[in-house]
Amino acid sequence: MAERSLRLDRRTAPAVDAPRARRAARRSGHAAKAAHAPRGVVSGGLLQAAAALIWIPQAALIAFSIGRLADGAGASDIVPAAAGLALLGLIRALLDGAGARLAFRAARDQLSELRARAVAALAARSPLDTGRMASGAAASALAEQAEAVVPYLSRFFPARLRMGLVPLAILAVILPFAWVPVLLLAMAAPLIPLFMALVGWRAKAASEEQMAEVGGMNAFLLDRLRGLSTIRALDAVDLTARRLRANADGVRARTMAVLRIAFLSSAVLELFSALGVAMVAVYVGFHLLGALGFGAWGARLSLGEGLFILMLAPAFFEPLRDFSAAWHDRAAGRAAFEALEALAGEGLPLPGARFAAPEGSADDPHGALGVRIQNVALVHAGRDAPILSGLDLHVRAGERVALLGPSGVGKTSLLAAIAGLAPAVGDIVIGGTRLSDSTAPALRRRMGFVGQSPHMFAGTLAGNILLGRTGFGPPELDAAIEGAALPPGTPAHAAVGEGGVGFSGGEVRRIALARAAIDPGVGLILADEPTAHLDAETAGAVTEALLSFAEGRTLIVATHDPALAARMDRVIRLGETP
Amino acid sequence: MSARSDFKPLVRLFLAERRGMLAAGLALSCVTLLAGVALLGISGWFITATALAGLSSATALAFDVFAPAAAIRLLAISRTAARYGERLTTHDAALALLAGLRERLFRGWAQPGAAEALRARPAKLLFRLTADIDALDSLYLRLMVPLAAAGAALLAVGVVLGLMEWRIGLGLAAGLALAGFGLPLVCGLAARRPARRRAYGVERLRARVIDLMAGQTDLVMAGRLDAQRVAVAEADRAAARADDALNRIEVTASIGFGALSALLLAGTLLAVAWLMERGAIDAPLAALAMLVPLAALEPFAGLRRGALEFGRTLLAARRVGPRLAARDGHALPPRPPAGLAATLSGVGVRHAGRGAPVLQDVDLQIFAGERVALIGPSGAGKSTLLALLAGEIAPSAGQVTSTPGTLLTQTTELFRDTLADNLRLAAPQADDAHLFAALAAVGLDDLVRALPAGLQTRLGEAGLGLSGGQRRRLALARLLLRETPLWLLDEPTDGLDAASARHVLQSLRTAGAGRTLVIATHIRREAEDADRLVVVKDGRVVRQWRRGEGGFAAALHALRAD
Repeated sequence: MAERSLRLDRRTAPAVDAPRARRAARRSGHAAKAAHAPRGVVSGGLLQAAAALIWIPQAALIAFSIGRLADGAGASDIVPAAAGLALLGLIRALLDGAGARLAFRAARDQLSELRARAVAALAARSPLDTGRMASGAAASALAEQAEAVVPYLSRFFPARLRMGLVPLAILAVILPFAWVPVLLLAMAAPLIPLFMALVGWRAKAASEEQMAEVGGMNAFLLDRLRGLSTIRALDAVDLTARRLRANADGVRARTMAVLRIAFLSSAVLELFSALGVAMVAVYVGFHLLGALGFGAWGARLSLGEGLFILMLAPAFFEPLRDFSAAWHDRAAGRAAFEALEALAGEGLPLPGARFAAPEGSADDPHGALGVRIQNVALVHAGRDAPILSGLDLHVRAGERVALLGPSGVGKTSLLAAIAGLAPAVGDIVIGGTRLSDSTAPALRRRMGFVGQSPHMFAGTLAGNILLGRTGFGPPELDAAIEGAALPPGTPAHAAVGEGGVGFSGGEVRRIALARAAIDPGVGLILADEPTAHLDAETAGAVTEALLSFAEGRTLIVATHDPALAARMDRVIRLGETP
Repeated sequence: MSARSDFKPLVRLFLAERRGMLAAGLALSCVTLLAGVALLGISGWFITATALAGLSSATALAFDVFAPAAAIRLLAISRTAARYGERLTTHDAALALLAGLRERLFRGWAQPGAAEALRARPAKLLFRLTADIDALDSLYLRLMVPLAAAGAALLAVGVVLGLMEWRIGLGLAAGLALAGFGLPLVCGLAARRPARRRAYGVERLRARVIDLMAGQTDLVMAGRLDAQRVAVAEADRAAARADDALNRIEVTASIGFGALSALLLAGTLLAVAWLMERGAIDAPLAALAMLVPLAALEPFAGLRRGALEFGRTLLAARRVGPRLAARDGHALPPRPPAGLAATLSGVGVRHAGRGAPVLQDVDLQIFAGERVALIGPSGAGKSTLLALLAGEIAPSAGQVTSTPGTLLTQTTELFRDTLADNLRLAAPQADDAHLFAALAAVGLDDLVRALPAGLQTRLGEAGLGLSGGQRRRLALARLLLRETPLWLLDEPTDGLDAASARHVLQSLRTAGAGRTLVIATHIRREAEDADRLVVVKDGRVVRQWRRGEGGFAAALHALRAD
């Protein structure tokens, strides 16, 4: 077998393969579990829990002050207690704030890290990888959806921590005074998760459905807005608006059916916390009245003690309520973690992605590059049989060659393999250097690639040609614009809209040509169907621009256009026996 | 104030959609809050009163325990019920608002001027629109509902303590208003700029990720992929800075509120002590007075978060408002004189922001029943001419008349919906037989019959995947269902292979009999049937040939073969 210059990672072909799918599922399951809180979140949560516990001495100050007032104390006797109350409140606010900041910062840093990791993984995948997520979907996952990580880490985890600490501490404080309220609260508390689990179990599935449906409502609107020209042309604006409304009303009806159940879980929480408080109040009241003498270790509670217990009762349920409010942060946060993990997954690798592209300089080698291809096989992601195999091809430096052949024969894949955009098996030697992971970045700098649908970056014409490369001055830029035969007088700072709005299909091809040709170090131009879908006149202009740029360089063109092929030095037919 | 005018269309929408439901939601949230306040207050009063009564067995026996105990249980249950009702009502109302908002936004964007802006920057505007809708969704639930509850809390504190001593009631209510409303207001104002920065930061992040992925080939070849990764990281850092600023504001406000409420509690304690000293209240009332403000602090935390998002909501209202308020200011072109299908005289079109006019001094008459092919290089103005005839755009100079027409756009636009609903956009009343006839005309009927769900098959990502050529044919089938006398076709068979193109053109010939056809094209097969070739170049009509005239055949031949 021929030595492999570029290894095709067979594991990454997205063929359906059950063990691998299971492995992937396990991996993503791990990822979800591995989403443990960073250290800052834990310490922030602890600070917030400490802040919540300060309520205990505050409640004591209030309760015992009222007790003393009832015993006939004057306003001046209460001043120290009031000052203490204010001071404790201040400390509590500061502690809580510090904890919130700490947790937030740690969570936000984590988000940046996750984003950077996903972007690095995306950049390391071949642009020809068909298993890659669509750019719009990936952008949504990385930009908006990923934000859910922050509330998940900075709100849900501290709330969970508080729920584990604060109620127990409160019970421990009440216990020395009386055991009945502890029993009442301790009975109500475990019932809450039980009932919430029962209700939430049904509600979870339903609410996931409902989230998808509300999302679908936006998708419906966007889908129709995207095709607005057609809807207007068909005079169907009113029809569509009414369908939109009917769809949204349907979503509302179904969502409400779900919410009626989902809100039961929070109603259960409310009911138990309200009844818990009420039962404690009633017990303490009857106890103080002497009707219920038991429960306070044989002693009789004082008014201050009774009030103290009463005021701690709502605080007992507060962390539970916070936790249940943060519950949906958890669902959204986990979904975001999973989406980011999916983006960071492996795919068809981009050769040499781990090697940095060299900085260009004036001393870089110039001149046309020859191409020698020996026993090369190309494999499409998702297909087992190679599209091209045992391919041998030799293009001399400075030669202009057309690749002809029916669609699907692999012309685009071959060009991409030469450009080092997708892995191939076999030897590809460009200008005497074998294409490999380590040589790909430097070799790519010496090649220009004009794809079928070049991407236009929103910005200026100059920005689109330079793509941030330095070392080219206005003379080179003007020469490139002129050489590309863009309409006379097109200024370098002409605005380019999103997706190339403002420029016709022919102009976009010519901008892409200028992009490939502006670097004098480029010795090989690869063009994929540069004249497809253009009218005869525009196709002619693009052909002229291509030929003028190819002056002193090697040119390989994949095309169906006989007029373009006729202008080349040699025609190579693919898909036929040589 | 500008904020008021920004919100005017929204307020109008709020009033139009489920006014009763919205008000009921607000009222229930007040009831919930008041029940909570009463529960804690009466409990405190009850405990203190029983403690005092319990001092001697005589008063203990005389004390009526059952009414307060029952009241406490009743309040506990009614608070739960009110909360449940509140959540259902407010969510129902919010969902109704969403439905109304979406419908109105669609109608607003469907206005000609807005539709044109949307065509120019679809991805950016649509992304913005989603983000804005989400921001507006929170207006009612996150801001208005907590605002109502906070108002009720304020009232409860003011009234309960005011009944004991009006100065204390007023003072406490004023203090609570300052802390509870003043702080969110200040923090909402301070958050406006970072909230806007954050929205733009996320937009930039998104755009750069799209550039990284869609432009990966170009970036890799230019050795700029790493630079683009850095650019994405920079956008994230900018968003992180805005996030951090927002969080700092939120935390500062919450510390401030915590500190102020501690002062309020301490002040209440002193005031209560003073009132007792003066004999104005007894101990049970003192406990009540102490616990009422405590329970009343609850809704203000929610209000603070809503206020923080107010900056984003304001931005959304500002951007979305014009679309909600928009009314159709553009009429279809007037009818042409008898015997003509359309006329253009001295017509010019100029796009804002671009120097040269797209069309200038165009004079053209199209006769009823005529087949006209507009030919010329891409970017010459052919599509603009069709848009003028369809009434999609208004001329900046000259006069256009036209019979009602249907435009087949250059890019195929199908919707994520069933096949039947995609077709019925053109003819809502058409029955299945009608739809199949149209599908047969483009050669898709066998394909559809073979589908398990037939016409009810859904198009789109999870549903039926059609090839580019099949999508084009489906769009043509939709056109065939239209009964307008004028068809405007923009490169109708572009992207079809030769055989299906011939099939489709044959169907167009049959179904188009008796109609006027205007076809913009650069492919020979589409112009072959034309009665007249009209050459458009650089925004002008430069030549015209009728069939049979010298030059017609040569011009036809100069077009691209299949």
